Amino acid sequence: MMRQIFTRPWFWAWAVVVFVFPLIWVGGLVTTHDAGMAVPDWPGTYGYNLFLYPISAWIYGPFDLFIEHGHRLLASFVGILAIVLCCCAWFMDERRWYRWACIGLLTAIICQGLLGGFRVVLDARTIAMIHGIGGPLVFAYATFLAIAASSDWRNAKQDIEPRGLHRLALGLVILTVLQLTLGAQLRHALPDLKPSLFMALVHMHLTVAVVLVAWIGWIAWKVRSSPYRHHKAIRAPANALVLVLLIQVGLGVVTWIVNYALPWPELTPGLAKYVILAKGYWESLVVTAHQATGAWIISLAVWLACRIGRRQAQLALNPQLRTIAASSIANGSLATEGRTASAPST
Amino acid sequence: MGNYRIGVLLADRTLDSGWRVMRKNLSFSNQVSVTSRWIFGWCLLPIVCAAVGCSPATKEYRPNTLHAASLLREAGDRDPKEVAAEAAIVVKAWFGTPDEPRLAVELLSEKEVVSWIDWAKVERCAGPVGRAEDEVERGIYRKHCALCHGISGDGYGSAASLLAPYPRDFRRGTFKFKSTMVGFKPTREDIKRTLTYGIPGTAMPAFSTLNESEEFAEDIDALVEYVRYLAIRGEVERRLITKAVRDDLELNPESAEARQVALDVMRRWSESESRAVTIPQVPQWNAEQRAEASRRGKEWFSSELTACVKCHGPLGNGDGPSQDFDEWTKDWTLLSGIDPKSPKDWKEMKPFGALKPVLDRPRNLAWQSFHGGGSPEDLFRRLVLGIEGTPMPPVARADGSNPGLTDDQIWDLVAFVQSLGDGE
Repeated sequence: MMRQIFTRPWFWAWAVVVFVFPLIWVGGLVTTHDAGMAVPDWPGTYGYNLFLYPISAWIYGPFDLFIEHGHRLLASFVGILAIVLCCCAWFMDERRWYRWACIGLLTAIICQGLLGGFRVVLDARTIAMIHGIGGPLVFAYATFLAIAASSDWRNAKQDIEPRGLHRLALGLVILTVLQLTLGAQLRHALPDLKPSLFMALVHMHLTVAVVLVAWIGWIAWKVRSSPYRHHKAIRAPANALVLVLLIQVGLGVVTWIVNYALPWPELTPGLAKYVILAKGYWESLVVTAHQATGAWIISLAVWLACRIGRRQAQLALNPQLRTIAASSIANGSLATEGRTASAPST
Repeated sequence: MGNYRIGVLLADRTLDSGWRVMRKNLSFSNQVSVTSRWIFGWCLLPIVCAAVGCSPATKEYRPNTLHAASLLREAGDRDPKEVAAEAAIVVKAWFGTPDEPRLAVELLSEKEVVSWIDWAKVERCAGPVGRAEDEVERGIYRKHCALCHGISGDGYGSAASLLAPYPRDFRRGTFKFKSTMVGFKPTREDIKRTLTYGIPGTAMPAFSTLNESEEFAEDIDALVEYVRYLAIRGEVERRLITKAVRDDLELNPESAEARQVALDVMRRWSESESRAVTIPQVPQWNAEQRAEASRRGKEWFSSELTACVKCHGPLGNGDGPSQDFDEWTKDWTLLSGIDPKSPKDWKEMKPFGALKPVLDRPRNLAWQSFHGGGSPEDLFRRLVLGIEGTPMPPVARADGSNPGLTDDQIWDLVAFVQSLGDGE
């Protein structure tokens, strides 16, 4: 049984997803504490091979060195997991595109590592920003591979008209990536960036946030007001998106307060008395959580888009299912997954 | 049918054929297709940009063009940018660059250098953030301060326009919360206090967390020295510009007159430590005495002598009739004939680095959130020293024949201010 699990690509794809998320957290902490240059050399650490740097110096050393070196070690581990995933997919998955997609993931992780390295060697914050954008994208890509290796991907059938939901889901992925890019620009802003440009970025970030709230709300409403509400496979990511979005909005507001304070501090005595703690525990946690939750939202958007897109693909390629879907709408009846005749292989 | 066209995106057949197309286009044959060139071109672009355009450039301090522009606005026949650039060259010769600061040792004696600044600490704060091979952290100023205060300490960092109040521009050499009289520079301890405890209700954080770990314990002291360095550098630059515009001073590092300007600024900073005003001991009151002191203090609060109500309002809510701008704003607005309330007027100075003028609102004392500290000593200090650069003046202190408040009466006023928070 265990042997079967370890030879399945989905296990390793999920392993990558599970370990990329903390990697994003630690990477976020590196940015929050401006620790990107805590280790001045790369690929080694203070002249040592990355894996041979003394543990005591790492654990008991300065905090910025601790998180930067930890980030590198964790990234190396994720790289190893991606290699195992590639091997497993190569021998165990019959889909050619999937095998090459896994190689693509490994390449993306290597590129991320190189970007991280160049950021240190060139001491370039702009590369740090690209690296910061790349992390959540790799996370989303790994999520896609994990979903593509799941049984739902293989067995998904559709007998409901999509009613534009697949377009909304695809649009959501694009919007979340746009929001990630804007957020990364704010996080990695150079001190000599013109204040008006920084302000414009803030306004864009807030505007896209509002659009995202409306967009996700629209998707959730569309799912709930359609026969999709009986499809757990669609309902789960839609509900998760709403929940995580609420958390993210809250984190966004608090991130603003702990970074810049509110522009109207005398709104309440509590805010008027609040003193931001530079690199404080809660302050760092909130700011980093806001970044990591953003990555999570992209990943959830990919999850939803995959679930809907895959069903859409089955519907597009199967005229028989289309007929059933059309009639189910005409009759106002509900068709559920697995009730229809099995779809031809795609 | 439109729905189905997008729908086939995630079909295995589409994904497989997509892979075939990619493999065909990306094959490393002699016949490189246009598509593959595009794909490779776009992939390489960020790497090329990273290698060429994003390497750490040696940063320069931003010339004080705003000051030059405000001086030259009405009477000037010279280009403000040109004057500011000339002054920046002189100051660079004496003080170096953000990555490589230097000390104008040629202007000072060795003794003065030692008393003026702790140079090792300045060097730790300067330059880009990170640790070198010796594992010593550097670039502390850019790590903690530059995003708001700017590389030059001009209060024009990226986030500046978002903040209320705006981050401080050190170049004027004016600091709000200090233990010296108006017109004198703050002591190291004053700057350290603001850095350690932050300013409540604003974006200025407390760096007390740095003291919690051994490795960062000296960072605050280092930042104090760097703030002094930036303030001195900025004030010298500013005075040189003023002299150049008003007195036709030759902007040359070798000019004796220019050197004298720099020396004056440096000496004023070096004597700041001895100018701290001593605060008398806090009276020990019981509840009844405190209530009585507070009642007396209320009378002083409403009196013509202190005129507190004009700004803070009769109940101390900060809603008095008198509202004004701070000196940093007046510096480039009123002094150069610009109405800060007129957007058309002030936007004229925006290209030179001006931020939208904002009224310096008096504190709502009922919330007991004091920017300069809330202890009785801090409040006494604020009352007798005022807040330099703002409309908050020092209370007149009785001195022989001069009318004013005695120390006991000022303590009464402190008691009243503290009592305003009781109904919170």
